[in-house]
Amino acid sequence: MDKIKIIDKVAQCLVEASTKFREDQVEKYKEAIAKEKNPEARWVLENILEDSRVAEAKKMPLCDDTGIPHVFVEFGEDIAINTEIETAIMEGVRVGLEQLPGRPMAVRGNEVERIEQSTGLYMESGALLPAPLIFKSFSGKGMQVTIMMLGGGPEIRSKTFRVFHKHDSKNVFIQIGEWAREVSAELGCTPCVPAIGIGRTHYEATVLMLEAMKDGSLDKQSEFEQMITAIVNEGKVGPLGLGGNFTALGSFIKIGPQRASGVRIACMRPGCCFDPRRATVLII
Amino acid sequence: MIEIQTPVSDEYISKLKIGDQIEISGIIYTGRDAVLPKLVKLCQENPKQVKINLEGGVIFHTAVSPAGIGPTSSNKIEIEGSIGPLSEKGIKIHLGKGALSIKTINILKKYNAIFAITPPVTALLTAKIITKEVVMFPEEGIEALHRLKVAAMPAIVAIAHGKSIFGESGDKSNG
Repeated sequence: MDKIKIIDKVAQCLVEASTKFREDQVEKYKEAIAKEKNPEARWVLENILEDSRVAEAKKMPLCDDTGIPHVFVEFGEDIAINTEIETAIMEGVRVGLEQLPGRPMAVRGNEVERIEQSTGLYMESGALLPAPLIFKSFSGKGMQVTIMMLGGGPEIRSKTFRVFHKHDSKNVFIQIGEWAREVSAELGCTPCVPAIGIGRTHYEATVLMLEAMKDGSLDKQSEFEQMITAIVNEGKVGPLGLGGNFTALGSFIKIGPQRASGVRIACMRPGCCFDPRRATVLII
Repeated sequence: MIEIQTPVSDEYISKLKIGDQIEISGIIYTGRDAVLPKLVKLCQENPKQVKINLEGGVIFHTAVSPAGIGPTSSNKIEIEGSIGPLSEKGIKIHLGKGALSIKTINILKKYNAIFAITPPVTALLTAKIITKEVVMFPEEGIEALHRLKVAAMPAIVAIAHGKSIFGESGDKSNG
């Protein structure tokens, strides 16, 4: 597979994820603006939609917290993953961050210095490393790369914890919905789109959460996703905390294999008004 | 939509009420967690070294990075703690996001200053910048105190004259 092509496509994909709303996001905002009666809340929704128009037209970041890149690589039957491909993807992320440009927020130093943030930041946007890459096969040809940019606001309010199911799945969804409702008031960047993974371990639940962000669409909401959204909206936090009916625009859930046990491990990331900032590119 | 030109007069602030949609034009300053406590300290201990005109001014709680500008949460202690001392020195509009405490609602009332909020709409806000320059604390990088010249920056009045759009009300007995 052509290395230059991978770098170029991945870089473009990262810029698209950071600067453009997908059609389902645009439609959901239009629907919310039409339905929202609270004038302050409507003003916020209108500004977010206008932001997406300016961002797309001028290729500018939707939000100045451009986020940490998360890369999901799905490879087809004809692709043999090797170090060259992985290196090219990493380079594509670096080039994309420079082109965007991403917020220069990579922390310098050794382990302790990085935690304490005592030796400053790198000046280069591209110095920001992505989270560990995820590789998974798919039935088809070529390589499909999805880039998601995860902002800090939702990260500090996310939760991965056990939930007792008591042999009724509703108990699990209600508990997770309550987690999302609680943190939506602190979020500041509402309306949000919670992403949820339910699995056997913390690692698995978190990967499932990311997979939910990768595959979810605001125009195709399952019964469980609608339930989570409704619980969050009962809180009436509204856009930017100004009240109204749209604290969450939708939710994404991915349910994995489960353990023989009375508990489930759930990962809930509340998301923000630009989530999911994602784009996918097929490289053949 | 109410157009506001900086510097802002006391008289103008008196007319504004919560929920008013405003557009700010003129010179504004930026500062967040790192810079605002330093600015407050300098105002109190060495005011001659303060290189900006605070009277009638606007402080936007944001960094200025190559990615653009966007409000950070104003209820962080370093930021919210600057609102009183900077209002006392003449700042009229604090621009950020998030609900503030009753104590801060009262302080804003005392100095006839307001808190306005704006969504984190970076592309839209960054497109409103005409010029930008670092004026103080350059060692803070993207969090340095910048002077921005802006045209029609959108915001909404969230706290004014003892009232908050988030529902809390100031306690008159605390002034």
